[in-house]
Amino acid sequence: MATVARPAPGPATPSQGEREILGKAYDLQLLKRLWPFVRPNARMLVFWSIFMPLTIVFELSQPMMFRYSLTQHILTGQIGMLPLDAGAYFVLVILQGGSSFCETWFLQAAGQRTMHALRIAAFDKVLSQRAAFFDRMPVGRLMTRMTNDIESLNDMFAQGAITLVADFIKMLSIVVVMFVVDWRLTLLALTTLPALIMLVEYARRLMRASFRQIRVRLAAMNAFAQEHLSGIKVLALLGRARTALSEYNDINAGHRDAYLGQIRGDSMMYAIVEAIEAFATGLVLWIVAGRPHDASAIQTVGVIAVFIDYLRKFFAPVKDLSQKYAVMQGAMAASERIFELLDTDEPDGAMPMNTTLVDNDPDDAPKASKDGPALELAGVQFSYGAEPVLRGVDLRVPRGASVAIVGATGSGKSTVIKLLTRLYERERGAIKIDGVDLRDLPLAELRRRITVVSQDVILFAGSLLENIAMGQEYARTQVEEAVRRVGLDRALKRRSSGLDTPVAERGSNFSAGERQLVAFARALLRDPEILILDEATAHVDPEAELLIEKGVAELMKGRTTLVIAHRLTTIRNADLIVVMDKGQVIEQGNHEQLVAKGGFYAALERTFRRQEADA
Amino acid sequence: MLALTNVFGVGVPLLFGRAIDEIQASGTDQHRVHKLVLIAIALAVGTAVSRILSRIWIFNAARGAEYDLRSDLFGHMLNMSPGYYRDHPVGDVMSRLTNDVQTVRAMWGFGLVSLANSLLAFVSVLGVMLWTDPRVTLFAIVPFPLIYFTGKAMSKRMWTSQRNVQVELGKLSSRIQEDLGAMQVIKTYGLEKVRRKGFIERSEKLLDENMAAARVRIQLGPALNTLAALSMVLLILMGGRAVIHNDMTQGDILAFAAYLMRLVWPTLTLGFMLALVQRGRVSWARLAELTDVKTDVPDGTGEPLPASKAPAKVEVKDLTITIGDRAILEHIDLELKPGTITAIVGRTGAGKSTLVDALCRLIPVPPGSVFIDGRDTTTLPLASLRQQIGYAPQEAFLFSTTIADNIAMGYGGGTAIPAARAKELESVGRLAPPDLRDEPRVVAAATAAGLVRDLAAMPEGLATIVGERGITLSGGQRQRVALARALAAEPRLLVLDDSLSSVDAETEKLILSHLRAVMHGRTAVIISHRVAAIKDADQIIVIDQGKVIARGRHEQLLADGGTYADLYKTQLDTDVVKEAS
Repeated sequence: MATVARPAPGPATPSQGEREILGKAYDLQLLKRLWPFVRPNARMLVFWSIFMPLTIVFELSQPMMFRYSLTQHILTGQIGMLPLDAGAYFVLVILQGGSSFCETWFLQAAGQRTMHALRIAAFDKVLSQRAAFFDRMPVGRLMTRMTNDIESLNDMFAQGAITLVADFIKMLSIVVVMFVVDWRLTLLALTTLPALIMLVEYARRLMRASFRQIRVRLAAMNAFAQEHLSGIKVLALLGRARTALSEYNDINAGHRDAYLGQIRGDSMMYAIVEAIEAFATGLVLWIVAGRPHDASAIQTVGVIAVFIDYLRKFFAPVKDLSQKYAVMQGAMAASERIFELLDTDEPDGAMPMNTTLVDNDPDDAPKASKDGPALELAGVQFSYGAEPVLRGVDLRVPRGASVAIVGATGSGKSTVIKLLTRLYERERGAIKIDGVDLRDLPLAELRRRITVVSQDVILFAGSLLENIAMGQEYARTQVEEAVRRVGLDRALKRRSSGLDTPVAERGSNFSAGERQLVAFARALLRDPEILILDEATAHVDPEAELLIEKGVAELMKGRTTLVIAHRLTTIRNADLIVVMDKGQVIEQGNHEQLVAKGGFYAALERTFRRQEADA
Repeated sequence: MLALTNVFGVGVPLLFGRAIDEIQASGTDQHRVHKLVLIAIALAVGTAVSRILSRIWIFNAARGAEYDLRSDLFGHMLNMSPGYYRDHPVGDVMSRLTNDVQTVRAMWGFGLVSLANSLLAFVSVLGVMLWTDPRVTLFAIVPFPLIYFTGKAMSKRMWTSQRNVQVELGKLSSRIQEDLGAMQVIKTYGLEKVRRKGFIERSEKLLDENMAAARVRIQLGPALNTLAALSMVLLILMGGRAVIHNDMTQGDILAFAAYLMRLVWPTLTLGFMLALVQRGRVSWARLAELTDVKTDVPDGTGEPLPASKAPAKVEVKDLTITIGDRAILEHIDLELKPGTITAIVGRTGAGKSTLVDALCRLIPVPPGSVFIDGRDTTTLPLASLRQQIGYAPQEAFLFSTTIADNIAMGYGGGTAIPAARAKELESVGRLAPPDLRDEPRVVAAATAAGLVRDLAAMPEGLATIVGERGITLSGGQRQRVALARALAAEPRLLVLDDSLSSVDAETEKLILSHLRAVMHGRTAVIISHRVAAIKDADQIIVIDQGKVIARGRHEQLLADGGTYADLYKTQLDTDVVKEAS
C-alpha cells in the first residue's frame, strides 16, 4: 500500500501560498542563489560597469553639445563653426555607439557564460542521481530544465534586472546634470516625481498580482498539455480529445485573462509617464516664460533645449519598466525550476563531487578473500515502491564458473543485475564480491570489476571506435583484437570505414546482431573479473545468431560469469543453472540434475527445445 | 486610435516649440506662453487617454490571438495518432507549444504595437517637420533610408545566427536525450567523465553560437542609433545655417531637435522589433512543422453506430499490419461473436497488442479489414467506434486528478482539473466539476476492479488525487483504476490488454470473480499470460510472429500439445506458476 499523503513540498520549493507571502524576498533569494554561477564571470560585469557609465556620459553630453552649438554659434551667427560642432556631435554619437556595444557585449558574455555554467551544473546534478530518480522523472522534463529554462533565464541578463541598474544610474545622472544646468528648474521638474513614484507603485502592484496569476496558470496549462500528450493513447481510446481541449481552453482562457491587470498596468504606466513628462516640460516653460529674460534670451533657449531633451531621457526607462518586469518574472519562474532540479539530492555516489556517506574511501576497504565464492547473495530483498520484487534471493557464483539464471518475465532476474552494480540499493540481505560487501567498495571500483552486457545495447552517436573503447584509452590494435575475437570483424566487412564507421544517433545504422557484437567487444576490452550477461531475446538472422553464439563463448572463456539465459546452448553449457520465480530461487543444479528432477526447469527445457526446432 | 494617439503626441512638441518662440518674441508677455503650455498639457492628457485605450485594445487582441493559437495547436496535437508520438518526443512538442508560442506572441503583440507606433511616429513626425520647414527636413531625414537598409541587411544576418542557435540547441537537446536514455550504461560503465566532457563541448558550442548571435544582435541598436543621430548632426549644420539666415526660428530648431529625439526611440524600437520578428519567424516555422502533419488515423466519415446495449460483433478479415518494412501482423482472420470472451496468447513481440490496437483503430488499419457490427471501422467516426470499447491497458495511464474522475472518464464524465486544482487556478466559476465520489457508476466500477480495500486505506477514498500532484499508486493499483475506468464505460466490447500483470495473484482471483459477472452480456478480448484469466475463454487465439498459429478452447489446445500446451505447462513469460508446478 502506498503511503497515503500528499507529498510535502521540499524545503527549497515553497508552496504557492508561501511564495505569495515571500514575494520580493523570494525573488531576491533566487538571485542570491544565482550569484555563485555569475561570480566566475564577475570580470565581465566589471567591464560592463566601466562601459555602462561611459555610455551614459556620451549620451548625456549630446544635448549639451547641441545647446553649446545653439547658444554659442547658431544664435550668435557664427556659421563657420557649425561644421566643427556637427563633427564634435558626431564623435559623441560614435563614442556612445561603441561604448554601448561594449557594454552590451560584456553583459551578454557574462550572461551566456553563466548559462553555460548552469547547464553544466544541471547536467552534473542529473548525472549523479541514482537510477531510481530517472524512473520518476520524465526525460522531457529534465530536458526542458537543461535547455529552454536556462535559455529563458538568459533574458534576464539581456533585458532584465541588470539593465534596471543601468537605467537607475542613468536617471540619477540626468538629475545631476540638470541640477548643474539650472537647479531651480530641476527642482521644479522634480515636483512631478511623487506622482511618478505613486504611479509606478500602483502599476507595479496591479502587475504583480497579474504576473503571479500568469505564472501559476501558465505552469498549469503546460502541465496539462504535457500530461495529456503523454497519455494520448488513453485519451484517444476514451474519445476524450474534445473534452480535453475544452478543459485546456478553460485554463488557456484563465491564462489569457490573467494578463488583464498586466496590460492595464503596462498601458497606464506608459501613457501616464508620457503625460507626466509633458507636464514637467510644460511646467518648465511656464516658469521660464515668467522670468525676466530679455538679457539672456539665448541662454534661456539653450536651457530649455537641454531640459526638454533630458526630461525625455529621464522618463524613457520608466516607460518600458513593465516590459522588463515581465521578462524578470519569466526568468524568475525558470530559475525557480532550475534550482528545484539543483536541489534534488538522490546521489548515486559514483561521481567524485558527490562524496556522500554512501561511498567509501578505498583505503578503508576490508580485505578481500580469494577463498570463497567470487560472488555471493544471501537473503537479498528488494522492492520497487510497494511491489516486492526479490523476496530473499540466495546465490553463490564460484570463481571462474558460469552460472545461468532462468525464469519468467518478472521473476526478478534483471533486478538481481541492477543490485549487483548498485544501480539500485538492496533493502535486506548481503551481496559480497570476494567476501567483501558491495557497499564497502567504492562505486567506481565496483563498476570496473563487474561489467554488464545487457540485451538492449545502447550505442552513442560518434565513431564505432569510441563506442567500443567507451571512454578508455586503448591502443587501436587492442580494439582491433577485441573486434576480431568476438567476430565483429566479419560483420563489419560490409562497411568500408571499419572502426571509424560513424554511428548514427541511437545506433540506428547498426543491426541488432551487430550491436550485440559491439557490446561483446566492449566487455572484452574491459576484461572484467565478473561478467554479467543479459542474453538478447531479439530475433536475428541465423548467420548473426551463429556469430553471437561464438562471441558469447569467447567472452565467457575462463571468466566468472552470471548469465540471464534465453538460449538453450548457453544454459546447457553453464556450470550451474539457477531457476528463479517470483523473486526467489526455486531450483538449482546442472542441466542433467534439473532435467532428472522433472520440475520447473524440465518443463522449461522442453519449450526451449521446441522453439529451437521451430527455428 | 493609434493614429489619433500619435497625432496628439506630435502636437505636444509642436506647441512647446511655439511656446519657446513666444518666450523669445514676446518678452514679458507670459500669457500667450501660458496658453500654449496649457493647450499642450491638455493635448498630452488626451494622448495619454487614447494611448491607454489603444494599447489595452491591441494587447488584448494579441492575447486573444495567442489563446486561439494555443487552442488550435493543442487541438491539432490531440488528434494525432499515438504512432506520431513514437517518432516525435512529447518533450519536443511541448517545447514548441510553450516557447515557440510565446515567441510568436511576442512578435504579434508587443511587436505589432511597437511597429505600428514606430511607423506612425515616423509618418506623423515627418509630416509636421515637412510642414514646418521642408528644406531642413529633407536634409535631416537623409539618414533614414540608411536606417532602413542597414536594418534589413542586419536582420538577415540575425535570422541566420538565430537559426544557428536553434540548431545548436537542438543538438544539445539530442545529446541530453541520448544520455538520459543511456543512464544505466553510463553508470555501470563509469562513462560519467566522458559524457560530461562531450556535454561541455556541446554546451560550449551553444555558448559560441549564442555569442555570435548576440554580436549581431547588439550591433543593431548602436548602429541604428548612430544613424539616427546623424540627423542631429545635419540639423546642426543645415538648421543652424537656416536660423542664422533667419529662414527658421529658434523655436523651430528646438522643436526640430525634439522631433528628431522623438524619432530615436521608434528607430531603436524598430531594431528591437527586427530581432523579435526574426525570432518569431523561426518559431513560426517550428509551429508550422507541427500543424503541417496530418494524422495517419483520420476520422471516418460514415454514420455513427446506433445506440445499443447489446454486445458487439467484431470481425477481422485478412488483416495485415506493416510498420516500417516489418510485417507485425499477417493475414489475421478473427471473429468475436457477440457476448463471447476471446483470449489472445503468444510470446512477447508476437503482435498481440498490435492486434488490439488495430481493433480500436489506434494505428492505421487498411479499409475492409476490421468490422464492428458489420461496419468497416475506417468508415466510422472515431468517437462512435471508441464509445463501443472499454480498454484497460498494461501500462495504466492515470491523469493527475481524483481516482473517481479517472474512473468516470470511462463514460465521458470526470475532469482532469479537479475542484482542488480549479480553486488553485482561481477560476472556480468556470471549472466547477461535480464531486463524483458517491456516483454509483464509479463506485460499482471501483468495486468490480477490486479497489475497495485500497480505497478504504486512503483518507479521501475515491476523491484522492493521484499522479504527479497527488499520491503515487503502485503498479497494481494503477492497473486496477484503469480497469475500473474500462468497466465504468459499460462497453459493448471490453478489451483487457494484459491489464492485471502487476496485480498479485490473490487480488487477481478476486477481480476475475467480479469480471465474470461484468463480462456477461459483453463481448470481451483478453490478453494475458496467466492461465487463470484465459482458460474459461470461449476461444483462445495463439499468435506467433504475427500469425495465428492455433485457435480453439483451452482443453482442445492443451490436447493438441502445440505451443499453447508448452506455454501453459511451463508458464514461460508468466509470473504465476501455481497451476503448473
